[in-house]
Amino acid sequence: MSDQADHILQSIHLVQKLRSGVGQVFKDLSDGISEYSEDPQNRDDTENQGKAEGASASSKESKSAQSSKESGSDKAEDQKHRAILKTLKKSLETISHDFSDLEKTGASIGPVQLFSNIDNLSLDPHDKNAVMHSQLLQSYKWTNKMHELASQAVSILSQNTLKRTQVPKFTNAKKQKVNMLAACQVPQASVDQLILQLDQTYPDSSISIHRPLGGCGIMQIELGHTLRAVVVLRGLMIEWVKVKGFGESFKNEDGQFDIWTASRYQVFQKVTDNAEAASLRFYAPAMPQLAIKSFVLWLNGYKTLFSAPCVKCGKFLLNNIPPTWRDYRSREPYHDVCRP
Amino acid sequence: MGVSCVFSYPVPEGLSGAQVVEVLQKQVETLGGIKAGTFLVDCETYQSVMLNTPKTLHILHNSEHPASCFAILDSGATLVADTLFNGLMSNLKNYYQARKGAKIESKGQRFQLSDFVLKIGSVSLAGSMKGVLVEVEYCPSVIAGDCWNLLKELLQSLKINVADPPRSLKPKMDEIYTPAVTMLQYLDHFNSFRTAAAMSQPPR
Repeated sequence: MSDQADHILQSIHLVQKLRSGVGQVFKDLSDGISEYSEDPQNRDDTENQGKAEGASASSKESKSAQSSKESGSDKAEDQKHRAILKTLKKSLETISHDFSDLEKTGASIGPVQLFSNIDNLSLDPHDKNAVMHSQLLQSYKWTNKMHELASQAVSILSQNTLKRTQVPKFTNAKKQKVNMLAACQVPQASVDQLILQLDQTYPDSSISIHRPLGGCGIMQIELGHTLRAVVVLRGLMIEWVKVKGFGESFKNEDGQFDIWTASRYQVFQKVTDNAEAASLRFYAPAMPQLAIKSFVLWLNGYKTLFSAPCVKCGKFLLNNIPPTWRDYRSREPYHDVCRP
Repeated sequence: MGVSCVFSYPVPEGLSGAQVVEVLQKQVETLGGIKAGTFLVDCETYQSVMLNTPKTLHILHNSEHPASCFAILDSGATLVADTLFNGLMSNLKNYYQARKGAKIESKGQRFQLSDFVLKIGSVSLAGSMKGVLVEVEYCPSVIAGDCWNLLKELLQSLKINVADPPRSLKPKMDEIYTPAVTMLQYLDHFNSFRTAAAMSQPPR
């Protein structure tokens, strides 16, 4: 481990050296090489220091350039050029040397031992991140727990054989898929046509379809002045039912459909429960059109929600609530507890 | 907002209004009613000054609709306005003047009984108690004709027997109910309380 750290430290130094070398070359190229015009005293200083090989070499060169200066100006000019080139060459050589050094050291550094991200986070000394670590741990525990509970739920739910949404089993997945396709993958046009047909069948209620989120349709039913209902359709399969009062709205403040909020009245909460049960009762994936038709026909029985007495006890109110249950065949009104 | 019916509850001889209210409140609580605040309906009457044929204008407020002010003429024509309308009336005092000692109000406890709201109000005219008004509201419905039987049955369980819907509600049984109809019913009762009070007072 410490060996690794030494290597890394070394290579960092090498990188620094390389960078300063390269930086010097570019500086020389842009500013011109200064040693050439330096006076001999300075030159000696640099020589004594022995900073870099290239520097000393170039100073030697410039020495000779100095001597040749005396002989003739033309020659001197030529030598100047040569000196510059030589200096440049030297420094480039140094760079390439440094680079190969760095490569060697780099090769000796093995891959860092793999930590998980969370371990790295815990090593982070920064104060701000200290909270995050504990939070992550907590969520990790939470996820684990959820996983555990979910697997328990699966084992309990799998004991129940009555299923609406089929979980594909390995044996007959294909068969079920075909079955589901018939009900779910219906072209929008035929759904629209069915809704239009239903709307015409019941003149005193208005039935319309909206598609705020594409594929799935929201069928809105307004039953006289009694109630409003939304039915979410996947293809022609009823996925969700909610019933509210005529005075209530299914749109939220932003004007978007809100299919989740329950009615604030107990009557319609009960009716919603019963309608959900009915949507399961009328579930028929093989004949989806018939399922919707019979559901709407049954729901139409609620037109007399407030005005019809219970068939069994003959009263309007029981526990201050009118009869909220309708028979699936005869659509006769019953109180919850008076059901046959 | 639902359908409301207002009924006058007779005060039997030998009992005070306050006692009757107490008995009624107990009955509602036995039925399962839960106290849900108080309510107040008040009515002020204005008389036209300039016109040859005097006209009466009633201004009503209801704590259920605190931002609204209901102006009702004798003919039954109703205007529902913001509470700013009160300020307008004070500007119209050259034409309409408030009748003195005619302020009548019904106030009391409000009860919630599943989807019903029951209000038991004691009526006071110029400070003295005149009677008891019971308002029953069925919130989920908007058509009075639909839920009339429900209301009737609930009132029966309170030992209030009614045969017919209130006079001002009768022609509007199959329409969508509006709060203005409640105020019309209150006004009907207020007017009959006033005439009763005028009758009992010895003429000066």
